Amino acid sequence: METWNQRAKLAVAVLFGFATLIASAQTRKDMKFNVGPGASLTITDDFGPVTVHTAAGSQILATATLHPDQMEIDQTHSGSRVELFTHALQQRPAGGGARVEFDVTVPPDCAVTIHSSSGPISIEKLRGDVNADGENANIDVRDVGNGHVHLRTLRGTVTLANVTNGHVEITSVSGPVTMSNVGGPNVEVNTTNGKISYTGMFSNNGDYAFTTHSGDIEVFLPENASIDISARSVNGKVEQDFPFQPKQHNPFPVTTGRAFAGTSNSGSSGVQLRSFSGTIRVKKQ
Amino acid sequence: MTCAEFQRVLPYIIDTGGNAEQEQHLRECAVCADLVADLKYIADQAKLLVPMEDPSPRVWEGLQKSLEREGLVKSAPARRALLGLPLRDWGWVAAGAAAVVLLAGIFFTRSTTSADQPKTTVAMESTATGPSNAEDQQILDTVAQLSPDVRDSYRQGLRDVNSYIQDAERSVKENPDDQSARQFLMQAYQQKAMLYQMATRSSE
Repeated sequence: METWNQRAKLAVAVLFGFATLIASAQTRKDMKFNVGPGASLTITDDFGPVTVHTAAGSQILATATLHPDQMEIDQTHSGSRVELFTHALQQRPAGGGARVEFDVTVPPDCAVTIHSSSGPISIEKLRGDVNADGENANIDVRDVGNGHVHLRTLRGTVTLANVTNGHVEITSVSGPVTMSNVGGPNVEVNTTNGKISYTGMFSNNGDYAFTTHSGDIEVFLPENASIDISARSVNGKVEQDFPFQPKQHNPFPVTTGRAFAGTSNSGSSGVQLRSFSGTIRVKKQ
Repeated sequence: MTCAEFQRVLPYIIDTGGNAEQEQHLRECAVCADLVADLKYIADQAKLLVPMEDPSPRVWEGLQKSLEREGLVKSAPARRALLGLPLRDWGWVAAGAAAVVLLAGIFFTRSTTSADQPKTTVAMESTATGPSNAEDQQILDTVAQLSPDVRDSYRQGLRDVNSYIQDAERSVKENPDDQSARQFLMQAYQQKAMLYQMATRSSE
């Protein structure tokens, strides 16, 4: 009798295990789109990470991992324009069911727009325009160039590295923004209380403007940096140990510890650092 | 005609082109000319938004009241004429609010003549308190169906950005000739406009 009881318990446990496995089963969905030069891809996925890589060719390859009984992907393909939009099949997907992961490969000159509330969003090696936003999404963009780079978040982190000839606009409310070697004619970063960090070279003839309300700004410069810099914190502090040459004319009253302006080498790039109440630090790398 | 007189009738000038005196001021005053150009640009950009469905009368009334509070329009019987824009769906509410935020920023940062200063101060204070709270609540209602952590990001974000706006407004008030202070104010309004735009996108 006891043996039968044990067997019954075992059977129930096995059935429960199968049920759990079935419930958590994720499916890979592969999508392929033929596109021409100047293609564009838009992904709206508020349910998980989006990763974008590049490969030579004229195809957009997207792989989505999802629970097909709980989530769905709508596709639009018109000419060289592709849109992928995820949505839940039920109002409240159960547990981990509300998750869609995208891994996408695009031609290098593709313009990419990603919306993802939760993120993370990762984009690399693109030579086209990059637009990415997400309320809580961590955004990582690297090795891109020759296009606009517009990144927006409320409290995700933003990391931008190795940009050449980019028109960069980053807006974050409270998430920190970390940049290294970002080059281009225009680089603008605005945060409310997110920290802004920059390390590396500034491009020739670039115009850099970093503004924050209560966040700190840190800039680490190589000795051969060629910049014309002004830094001002209205109610905070400004610290710097870089050997700048003072300027004859300043755009604002230079108060020790609150503001400075100077140049290094030929001053080929303009750099404006503004914080309302945060601390600004400019250091030698 | 002074800048203050011109800006008082600005909404009508944009719609009608203005009379000879107003046109002369526009030709001679770079500040007002830039302001009109910015307003027209915003109106043109907003027209690019794809119209979808009619809003409920409640939506129209809310938006109309917001604009009246900002002093950008006066009571108008026409239901579909906001700077010449059609009003269609819920997205327009946030888009309109974002436009109002930007317009307010432009107004406050562009007002440079001493004659305008007292008026500007009153308008800035009213923006920082009453109307923005109502608009913020509208945004929080718009994102109410999103996940709790995203809703929390909007709530905290609005609080932080409003604090930024208040600090920047105070700074402009105390140092009206400080270009940096005006830049801070403009950036603060742009942060708020971004919040509105993202809320619109997420609620679609």
